[in-house]
Amino acid sequence: MTTMYDKLVDLMVSRFDVDRAEIKPGITFEDLEMDSLFLVELLVVIQTDLGVKISEDTASPRDTIERAAELIEEQVASAATSS
Amino acid sequence: MVTPAAVLAGIGSCLPPRAVSNDELAETLGSSDEWIRSRTGITQRYFAAPGTATSDLAVGAGEQALKSAGTAVVDTVVVATTTPDRPCPGTAPTVATRLGLTGAAAYDIGAVCTGFVYALATSAGLIATGAAERVLVIGAETFSSILNPADRATSVIFGDGAGAVVLRAGTADEPGAIGPFDLGSDGEGRDLITVRAGGSEQRLSGGEPTEDDRYFAMAGKEVFWRAVQRMAASTRSVLDRAGWTSGDVDWLVSHQANLRILNRLADDLGIPRERSITNIALVGNTAGASIPLALDQAHATGALRKGDRLLLTAFGGGLTWGSTVLTWPELDRA
Repeated sequence: MTTMYDKLVDLMVSRFDVDRAEIKPGITFEDLEMDSLFLVELLVVIQTDLGVKISEDTASPRDTIERAAELIEEQVASAATSS
Repeated sequence: MVTPAAVLAGIGSCLPPRAVSNDELAETLGSSDEWIRSRTGITQRYFAAPGTATSDLAVGAGEQALKSAGTAVVDTVVVATTTPDRPCPGTAPTVATRLGLTGAAAYDIGAVCTGFVYALATSAGLIATGAAERVLVIGAETFSSILNPADRATSVIFGDGAGAVVLRAGTADEPGAIGPFDLGSDGEGRDLITVRAGGSEQRLSGGEPTEDDRYFAMAGKEVFWRAVQRMAASTRSVLDRAGWTSGDVDWLVSHQANLRILNRLADDLGIPRERSITNIALVGNTAGASIPLALDQAHATGALRKGDRLLLTAFGGGLTWGSTVLTWPELDRA
């Protein structure tokens, strides 16, 4: 798994009280009962932590954690090339 | 001549008598106490009884603030509200007259949840120019009057209430002096926090509004995203202007939007969450009333001490946002 995936998992455990044992790459946010409001909060945290602009629509609750990590990485990469 | 500064001289608040629990709302909304608490941090809010108007709560808070300031007279009354008694005229003249202040300048401020910070800023401006010496600044809402009972996203969040402060002309270096300010807006976001019907846009549209258009509506996810970032940027800007760092802040007093927004903002600023004043659990989000209501309740419990440095910030419909700072003065309780 990628660094971004690990970062996401750490944040979900430390900031959102998600049980680490429940988080798997193929599980969706919805499966973990994290709705769009939780997800947008997670994205705000990631944006602040990474110090790059990402979109509030980067991922949806129906995305898997692995897919969300990929989508965030794509945004970070495009932010890096456009700046 | 030294420009006068606006100095906090009195404070008060008013809640309607009836507290409404999550359980009571959850029954009709198909929601639950746990669902509401985990998403908002709210356990109860107050709803005004039929026959109550925003001016009633404003007068209650205003009376207390005048008493706390030890004065019966101000020359200006400013009411920040999203839920005026009527679309026309403003609510402030009614409030002024009911407080025995007929003849005082009186006007409303419409900046939704940022209304109180905007009202503080304009009042401080009146004092700075010498147009006013004492201003009664009130944030008052009967938000229950515009809530869509079928919309569980908003109807569990908002509540009714009022908070008020008296500002007097003083000097910038004394405790209670308010400012500098940071204020801003972004009209692109007007659909994110709105009541679509009832204004000129709808009334001159030639069509009838839908039932939902008559009520308040909010795009929760989009608002969360913008609220945290706008308040973080605005507070950093005002701290800069004041020559403070976030480490200098004894109390962060944010508009009580949602406990998760408040916590996120505190984390973002590096201010410990326990230094963030929160009363949202017991009163909900009272929009333009939330900051003075939170301040008055914190003052009543003795949490705020003379010399404490406060950072005030709000975000709301418009979109609008604003921040200011002050050092807490010695204040009487009404």
